[in-house]
Amino acid sequence: MSAVMTTEKSDNAPRGAGKKQMDRLLLTVLGYVFISLLAIVCIIPFLLIISSSLTEESTIVENGFQLLPTAFSVDAYALLFKYPAQMLKAYGVTIAVTALGTLAGLFLTAMTAYVLQRKDFKWRNKFSFFFFFTTLFSGGLVPWYLMIVNYLDLKDKLIVLILPMLLNVFYIIVMKSFMSSIPEAITESAKIDGAGDFRIFIQLMLPLSKPALATIGLFIALGYWNDWYHALLFISSENLMPLQYYLYKMLGNMDGMRKAMVSSGAVVTMNIPTESLKMAMTIVATGPILLAYPFIQRYFVQGLTIGAVKG
Amino acid sequence: MLTPAVLFFILFAYVPMAGIVLAFKQFNYGGGIFGSPWNGLDNFRFFFESGNAWTVTRNTALYNIAFIIVNNVLQIAAAILLFEAVGKWFRKLSQTVMFLPYFISWVVVGAIAYNLFNYDVGTLNSILAAIGLERIDIYNTPSYWPFILVLVSAWKALGYGSVMYLAAITGIDTEMYEAAEIDGANVFQRIIHITIPNLYPTIIILVLLAVGNIFRGDFGMFYNMVGNNGLLFSSTDVIDTFVFRSLTTSNEIGLSAAAGFFQSVLGFATILLANYAVRKYDKDHALF
Amino acid sequence: MQNKKTLMLLFALMLVLTTVISACGSNNTASHNNGASNAPAEGTTEPTTNGGNSEELVIKMLLLGGKPIDYDTVFGELNKKLKEKINATVQAEFLDWSDWNQKYPLKFAASEDFDIAYTANWAFYNDQALKGGFLELTDELLQKNMPLTWKAMPTVAWEQSKVNGKQYMVPNNNPEVIDKAVLIREDLRKKYNLDPVNSPETFANYVKTIAANEKGINAYSAKPADGWKWHELDQILLEQKNEWNLVDYNMPLAYKLDDASGKVFNIYDTPEFKELLKYYKDLVDNHAWSKNIVNNKNDVWQDMKAGKTASYVHNLGTLSSNLAELRREKPEVELAIADLTPDKKKIAAISTQNGFAIHATSKKAERALMVIDLLQNDKEIHDLFMYGIAGTHYEAVGDDKFNATASTANFMGFSNWGANSPLNRKDASYPAEGDAIEAAWKQKVYNFDLETFVFNDTKVKNEVANVGNVMIRYAIPLEYGLIKDIDKGQADLIKQLKAAGIDKLQTELQSQIDAFLASK
Repeated sequence: MSAVMTTEKSDNAPRGAGKKQMDRLLLTVLGYVFISLLAIVCIIPFLLIISSSLTEESTIVENGFQLLPTAFSVDAYALLFKYPAQMLKAYGVTIAVTALGTLAGLFLTAMTAYVLQRKDFKWRNKFSFFFFFTTLFSGGLVPWYLMIVNYLDLKDKLIVLILPMLLNVFYIIVMKSFMSSIPEAITESAKIDGAGDFRIFIQLMLPLSKPALATIGLFIALGYWNDWYHALLFISSENLMPLQYYLYKMLGNMDGMRKAMVSSGAVVTMNIPTESLKMAMTIVATGPILLAYPFIQRYFVQGLTIGAVKG
Repeated sequence: MLTPAVLFFILFAYVPMAGIVLAFKQFNYGGGIFGSPWNGLDNFRFFFESGNAWTVTRNTALYNIAFIIVNNVLQIAAAILLFEAVGKWFRKLSQTVMFLPYFISWVVVGAIAYNLFNYDVGTLNSILAAIGLERIDIYNTPSYWPFILVLVSAWKALGYGSVMYLAAITGIDTEMYEAAEIDGANVFQRIIHITIPNLYPTIIILVLLAVGNIFRGDFGMFYNMVGNNGLLFSSTDVIDTFVFRSLTTSNEIGLSAAAGFFQSVLGFATILLANYAVRKYDKDHALF
Repeated sequence: MQNKKTLMLLFALMLVLTTVISACGSNNTASHNNGASNAPAEGTTEPTTNGGNSEELVIKMLLLGGKPIDYDTVFGELNKKLKEKINATVQAEFLDWSDWNQKYPLKFAASEDFDIAYTANWAFYNDQALKGGFLELTDELLQKNMPLTWKAMPTVAWEQSKVNGKQYMVPNNNPEVIDKAVLIREDLRKKYNLDPVNSPETFANYVKTIAANEKGINAYSAKPADGWKWHELDQILLEQKNEWNLVDYNMPLAYKLDDASGKVFNIYDTPEFKELLKYYKDLVDNHAWSKNIVNNKNDVWQDMKAGKTASYVHNLGTLSSNLAELRREKPEVELAIADLTPDKKKIAAISTQNGFAIHATSKKAERALMVIDLLQNDKEIHDLFMYGIAGTHYEAVGDDKFNATASTANFMGFSNWGANSPLNRKDASYPAEGDAIEAAWKQKVYNFDLETFVFNDTKVKNEVANVGNVMIRYAIPLEYGLIKDIDKGQADLIKQLKAAGIDKLQTELQSQIDAFLASK
């Protein structure tokens, strides 16, 4: 293929070379400028957060958030890590839940999406509707809570952090859309060779869907990583608290208590949480996954399907 | 192979869906979901008799439409540029950076916004004052907020959404690009005539999915940005924040179930229409 | 054809599944009696003699707030004593402040296993009782199992916590006055030679002077962002000053304290309110508070400590401890507590500010009541539950005071106030000014017929919700001076209230009050 390309290119070179380079250049400039602007807008607030997490509380109260810490202090982090054992446990829970949940969830999502996009599956539209309908109507918090706590008896168990989030209609549908762009010729030829559905799925579809898997996998993982809601509702044991919930508790307790004080007439003597603490929490919660993100990026590689068809 | 998914949704979505009846009942603990007495359309009254039903519904829908358009356009543009126009390291770096806003909770975003926009010591007004211009009272002027909220929403969803489009772009057959080059197309023509059309399936799917939720507001964003500032409600109040405020006095499950049911019905009607329209255009691209 | 059949089968299967599971559910919940008419016979599974309990029971408590760090040690001690006295131990589950709003009703809806629940009027006590979440506490139950409380609790307290004539909670025994006061910068007042702040006029003067002369400091600050439906000064300048009583903070309806007929009126539609709006506008025109105050997310006390605010409003207890705190940390900054309505009648706090209730489905009601009895009235147990372990979490100063220690923070922040009683200890560092004001207020407590009246809003829930919304949307900006034309603003507010159904609300309230007074 490359041989062909070079010949083509050299054929065209004298005629359109200058013009091509011009618009290539234009696009490149446009690209860098536009992306840089977006990147700046995205990073500045984050810098504010980092800086505020390292600033003395009183300075924040007086001057608000600033890009560079004028009065350096690691108090917020010290407070967060005051009970390192708990913090480590929280990290552990979150990592375990994210890893298990993402693997299982991604697999199930892909499997479901695969079936749904099969054009020879007569009921695919009906099942798509079946799944999609669940995003339209909902019975609300109470019945769902009852289901999980009373009928499935999942309260205060690690699995309750994984199970309810395992499948998400949005991801199934997006994955289905990605998979349907893979030419059918591939699966057809495998079928002719006598392979069963499941084998085709595992040995053909999965490897060919790397960008899709990487994307959806990332989203599922992020969902698990950031989740505090399920822990809030269902976990009371300290050993099973994920990171986000642990941080959220620390913060929310003081805030809500203060509000209750106003109504109940009780006396407020606790230290109210600091702005710098909120910021430090964001950093602590975000750090690990951000570090992992670049590793995932390598899966956004193009053109895996082409070779397969030709070959 | 579909069994696990079907089972999952039956358990976690369809069975609890029975709870929709709560919208028509006066819930008490003794009766539970099925034993509590019916009260007809009573639970809907607070919403429809408030005089605000139309405003908040309109706001919810309009904001969502704006979000869909602006967010997607921005994300597609970013994805294309990232793919076509910039070098590998720059792309990796900027992708990571663009993802950062996703991790910032709305509570923190609200705090940062307040820091930026407040009248007395906000960054924006300090700069304006320093260069001799008059200060702007953002928090008391409803007309600025649609713009602010749309921009903030786009900012927050940028990294997340552009990843989706980037993945779609990498799946496009490069043969088409080569063919276009041979035909003498320049880069812009190639983008307009090949890349974007190939993204249509993804765009349609994402838009359809968003349309189903067109009557649900992003509570986190609206609540943390606007707070309880009544002056801004005319242009920023959405169904979810309105219902939340109404229920601070009592935790009537029936009332919130009624509001939720209202949102569901409207969303359902909308998506049926939208999906039908897409089906007419291309059967394969529809949701169902 | 075949496709349709299989599809039908699937739907049928789903339907069956749903019905079966739901039926199981409704069986579970239906077996719990409708709490409102629950007979006291439930819960009599153990012998009923006081102190002679043969079976050791674990009583589960549902409390609000974060689990204190030293929960295990303190409750360990507490349980030792409880076991000695009534052969019972307690286990507490904590609902964090951040989302107790959501979790609390869920616990009841799911009929979870707990016996005692903290409750309060601001924690939807009324609602929960009417929904059948709490066990009805008859006089016999109470007398038999809570002899100490029965003796110590004033009748008014019992009366105030009744719902539709039935008792559902054991209120706290803490007849405090919950009037609000203002914390001001005494040093600044002295700097400008202002009169002592003890009335709305002197306060206005103070605020305007500070605003005019001290740059970079807000003369007054508040945090309306918390969702309170009133200007934070309203309780002082509207309720206390005019000697009105707001029936419920979620509605703008009140009656005059000494009006025997209990006629209610719309606060926003009174000449006093008009005057107050002028007062607020005057303050705003003089830059008393930030233009963006309605969006203020900063903690006001922290702002005051940092010197960014020169006054704020709160209840006496909090202001007193603020005073003590700053005295310790920054003695050079002088603060003072200003009572703006020193000569007005005072109302004692309604007993339902805090309390404990028994879960309707509890099988250990009698023992649970005994536990509450001791929590409120047994000195040792009370001290443990409220303050922790003597010597570690606090230092006992005599019988009725305490000093904070380094570990005080390890056992606090949760709703143990349900056990408030005359046995409460006071912080020894409580400033003398606070004591003085408190004593003065206690002298002026006014008792009136409607003291024990509680509004039942079941029939007007929609109006309450809508009126509340109107208050946040129209009244708050108006009161904080964000609307230029206050007359038009007031007219608009009243118009919106009428649209929201305030008249229906008022009629319902008045009829309930009339019925209440007639029955006396």
